[in-house]
Amino acid sequence: MMTYIVFILSVIFVVSFVGFSSKPSPIYGGLVLIVSGGVGCGIIMNFGGSFLGLMVFLIYLGGMLVVFGYTTAMATEQYPEVWVSNTTVMGVFLLGLLMEVMLVLYVLKSEEVGVAFKFSGVGDWAIYDTGDSGVFSEEIMGVAALYSYGAWVVIVTGWSLLVGVLVVLEVTRGD
Amino acid sequence: MNPLIFTTILMTVLLGTMIVMMSSHWLMIWIGFEMNLLAIIPILMKKYNPRTMEASTKYFLTQATASMLLMMAIIINLMHSGQWTITKVFNPTASIIMTSALAMKLGLTPFHFWVPEVTQGISLTSGLILLTWQKLAPMSILYQISPSINLNILLTMAVLSILVGGWGGLNQTQLRKIMAYSSIAHMGWMTAVLVYNPTLTMLNMLIYIMMTLTMFMLFIHSSSTTMLSLSHTWNKTPLTTTLILITLLSMGGLPPLSGFMPKWMIIQELTKNSSIILPTLMAIMALLNLYFYMRLTYSTSLTMFPSTNNMKMKWQFETKRITLLPPLIVMSSLLLPLTPMLSILD
Repeated sequence: MMTYIVFILSVIFVVSFVGFSSKPSPIYGGLVLIVSGGVGCGIIMNFGGSFLGLMVFLIYLGGMLVVFGYTTAMATEQYPEVWVSNTTVMGVFLLGLLMEVMLVLYVLKSEEVGVAFKFSGVGDWAIYDTGDSGVFSEEIMGVAALYSYGAWVVIVTGWSLLVGVLVVLEVTRGD
Repeated sequence: MNPLIFTTILMTVLLGTMIVMMSSHWLMIWIGFEMNLLAIIPILMKKYNPRTMEASTKYFLTQATASMLLMMAIIINLMHSGQWTITKVFNPTASIIMTSALAMKLGLTPFHFWVPEVTQGISLTSGLILLTWQKLAPMSILYQISPSINLNILLTMAVLSILVGGWGGLNQTQLRKIMAYSSIAHMGWMTAVLVYNPTLTMLNMLIYIMMTLTMFMLFIHSSSTTMLSLSHTWNKTPLTTTLILITLLSMGGLPPLSGFMPKWMIIQELTKNSSIILPTLMAIMALLNLYFYMRLTYSTSLTMFPSTNNMKMKWQFETKRITLLPPLIVMSSLLLPLTPMLSILD
């Protein structure tokens, strides 16, 4: 099972994405987001990126999602929508689940058969080799490279986040 | 809106397009598109009524979908070529998905449905930015991947766009919807010649932007958003009436005005590549465009539309000062003799 752990985690990842994309109340969306964040962290860790996974837990789940949870709790309604309360929400959730199940079966059962992509069995997801780069761990080097070669990316993404805040405040301000 | 924030957001729109046009890494291009989209939403929503909010939402949804498709095409390209640089797209699937994504961003048929509705719901100045500046970024990416675009798909979308742009604008009285359908048709002309000679696409884009800027500024000057209010300009500022006539005929592609130059060059380039039926069809469908421009000039410039005013000219209380209008008018009507200068554009 450990060789296919990334595949299993990715299935849970997609199912939790379907869970919040079927638009229940934001509180329940946040709940599923926690699960998907944790599972995503697991996927990254299986590729050797322990630093990035812990970053997901700390900053994403422990910072951003906590703030989101508090603000949603302030603005929530008396009877928030669950997945089974509304036919539409349940329908979309079941449709997403069905598509994921069909995709998983397609990946598992048909070897070397591709429609638009070649899914060569489960081989793409199994971890045989963590990528040998010697003494240094790859993802720390990646983070270091972000701040040296990728300074422009940092500037652009930082500016985008600032403008994102300004845009959201401007749009929700009303008159 | 607070002027400082407005300036920041406007600069971010510019920065987003600049990043798209200058980057060599596919991810940065995607980031540039998203930055552009994010920052233009409050510009579209300058006035807070339900119409602008609905228009901004429609714009955001279609452009976000197109960005997602673009990301998918980028990742398929990465999977098959192993690198992130902008050259041609190596996989046919990725090329088709990327062409569809960029067509959604431009407003080509069959993804054109958002253009009239979004342009109608926003103010004239926002519509100006939407129809001119926002076309630059996707067109620059199409230019860069032009060696690997599937010809059938692009030509189908182009010809259908010219048809829809001409046919759809026929029963419109709202000026912004007319400009939207004109934009769809011009995008069709631009993408038709993209695979054969991308320089002509850029030429058409240049002249289209000048003509659309001129038209929108004339509309802003007379504060008119319907054909009815535009037809009263003879009473307000008679000079504007003549300029509207000249610019509209230039947009319709009539010689000796500059709007004829791109159409002429495109038809010449297509016939050089041994396709005769296609440019004939495109020229015939451009007549539909010309029809509703002519109808606009008929009610505006060629006739003195009945108004309630008894005098020859209304009393001028204050005139709006529109920057750059005279040079734009000159450029959008008199550039045809400069056609031999095309050789510098390569």
